[in-house]
Amino acid sequence: MSGTVRFDFMHFMPYVHLPENHKDYKSLWVDFPNKYYDPKKGHALYQRYLAELLLADKVGFDAVVVNEHHNTSYSMMAAPSLIAAAIIPQIKNAKICVWGTPPNLEYPNRLAEEYAMLDVMSEGRLEVAFPLGTGMEYWANPINPATARERHRESIDIILQAWTQDGPTTYYGDFYTYRYLNPWPKPYQKPHPPCYIVGTGSPETVELAAKLGFGYSSVFVTKQRALELNQNLRRQAAEHGHHIRPEQLPLQVITYVAETKEKAEEEAVEHIRFFFEDALRTTPTFLAPPGYLSVAELKKRAALADKLHGAFNFDNINESFFVAVGTADQVVEQLEEWGARVGTNHFNILGAIGNMPHWKVVKNLTYLGQDVIPRMRARAASDRRVAAE
Amino acid sequence: MRMARPDPLAGFERQTHTVNGVKTAVLTAGRGEPLVFFHGAGTWHGFKFALPWTEKFRVIVPFHPGFGESGDDPGLSDMHDYVMHYLDLFDALGVDKLRLVGFSLGGWLAAKFAMEHGRRVERLVLVGPAGLRGKTRPTGDVLSLPPEQIPALLVTNFDVIKPYLPEGPDLDFMGDRYREGGTLARLLWEHPYDQKLSRYLHRLTMPTLLVWGEDDRLIPAAQAEIWRSFIPKADIQIFKGAGHLVLDEKREAVDAVQRFLA
Repeated sequence: MSGTVRFDFMHFMPYVHLPENHKDYKSLWVDFPNKYYDPKKGHALYQRYLAELLLADKVGFDAVVVNEHHNTSYSMMAAPSLIAAAIIPQIKNAKICVWGTPPNLEYPNRLAEEYAMLDVMSEGRLEVAFPLGTGMEYWANPINPATARERHRESIDIILQAWTQDGPTTYYGDFYTYRYLNPWPKPYQKPHPPCYIVGTGSPETVELAAKLGFGYSSVFVTKQRALELNQNLRRQAAEHGHHIRPEQLPLQVITYVAETKEKAEEEAVEHIRFFFEDALRTTPTFLAPPGYLSVAELKKRAALADKLHGAFNFDNINESFFVAVGTADQVVEQLEEWGARVGTNHFNILGAIGNMPHWKVVKNLTYLGQDVIPRMRARAASDRRVAAE
Repeated sequence: MRMARPDPLAGFERQTHTVNGVKTAVLTAGRGEPLVFFHGAGTWHGFKFALPWTEKFRVIVPFHPGFGESGDDPGLSDMHDYVMHYLDLFDALGVDKLRLVGFSLGGWLAAKFAMEHGRRVERLVLVGPAGLRGKTRPTGDVLSLPPEQIPALLVTNFDVIKPYLPEGPDLDFMGDRYREGGTLARLLWEHPYDQKLSRYLHRLTMPTLLVWGEDDRLIPAAQAEIWRSFIPKADIQIFKGAGHLVLDEKREAVDAVQRFLA
């Protein structure tokens, strides 16, 4: 720990009212029929999920995190900036992390404007991430997966130019031409809100974050991969003259706290199972549209997927991924250990897991807010004092 | 113990040329006037069907960049870039006038080459060509099909292609197909057809033969009539009991091409 600690609460806002026959569908992404979406149930879920984000702010989280997916029951946030706009007037202290809209899916000037609006509206509490977007997003949107990485780099370049240079400027690129790049408003934070790349640790996205000196928000990476990713990013960023700070490396952890370890598992495991078995369920073709991955990366992932096949097994998930389910003491110990191991003090807590009911999310957030976050903050502060003496 | 797959390139001599910086593998066999074959989007089933043509012609089968044994060049991003690539390659090979046969994606490319450089193409054969949208008889979108479902869709008799396919999961084979799919996506993800094709097909003034498998489930044989309606001198030959890979499935189709080109 470097003396401080940061907690984010990440919500996926899943549509949880799946039809009884949903197991018949190989994928709940891309082509899962939207006839199963009931807007009345959707409304109730939005009400509930927005309240959960606000509760995270109340109980002491440092930030709330929203993100974007398309054509899926996994997430009801096709446009995360809308969610951010809905909560900004109500959130008192927490930062708002839109992690985020894949820049490839919007015109870059428009995304620069949208985020600048949110930053100004929130008085400089916005953080953004620039995901490439999962393979699934490229089946849902009219953007070529084979040129996605080049377009991604150009889009980020345009957004940064729009934020850091006084307009009007011009941009003559491979994908976009701007004769008057001159967005109003500009961001509240200078030179711009803190930025991250989001990804699963592919060499290309790590290199991009290193080059730009951005943070890297990893999603669903194994423990081994997270360690390698953070080491690689630090080393590669240094080669580009950037120093990556621990808080730039949020560690995503599925977290659930209850009175006892047994009770925590009893209450959380079925939802973790839903998350891995159902919410994330999709096909290899949807995961990797043509040209989206390098051939080497495709082969690596195909080999890994073979290993992960088979029925859900909580012990295996626990073994491979960052899952902290237990008492407050156990969770504190676990987070501190992992933070030290991968070199971060920034935890991105997945605390509304899969189809978890509202009461469990409230219970989890309450425990985290009362017993985990203050304790870790106090310990980090005392570390800081020791280091200062 | 798995049986070794037959060499899909048996019978050809392999050469490599560097064309505008990209490694281009070229298969050749036979002697005579040049006959160039443009392959489709999958190269795994090889070119054995083309060997009878070597009795009369110098058969030249180049791998398009991004396919088979040729190298990658992400700078080639539309069909016209491939036309330019072949101008360079033909210069390197000393090929001026040629007979041109194109299959599927290669049929689209052959039509495009021939409409832009018609004086060089003496006779043109389009085998199940891609390229038209075919509003009422649409072209199947091969990019949206799971790769493992594609081979069976291409033939009526699976035994014809079975020897060229791995018996189980095969990472290298999967990787090769993914690479070719990526090249294809780069070319035509946004539009898996050319809206302008029908506008310029009248420039195919050379004798042209359209060959199709009657049971083509990827590009319906009914599209042959659409092509013919735009091309001044086109004949159609449709072969029963064959799918998209009509040249692999029907020796009669191979012979018909040979007779037409002779």
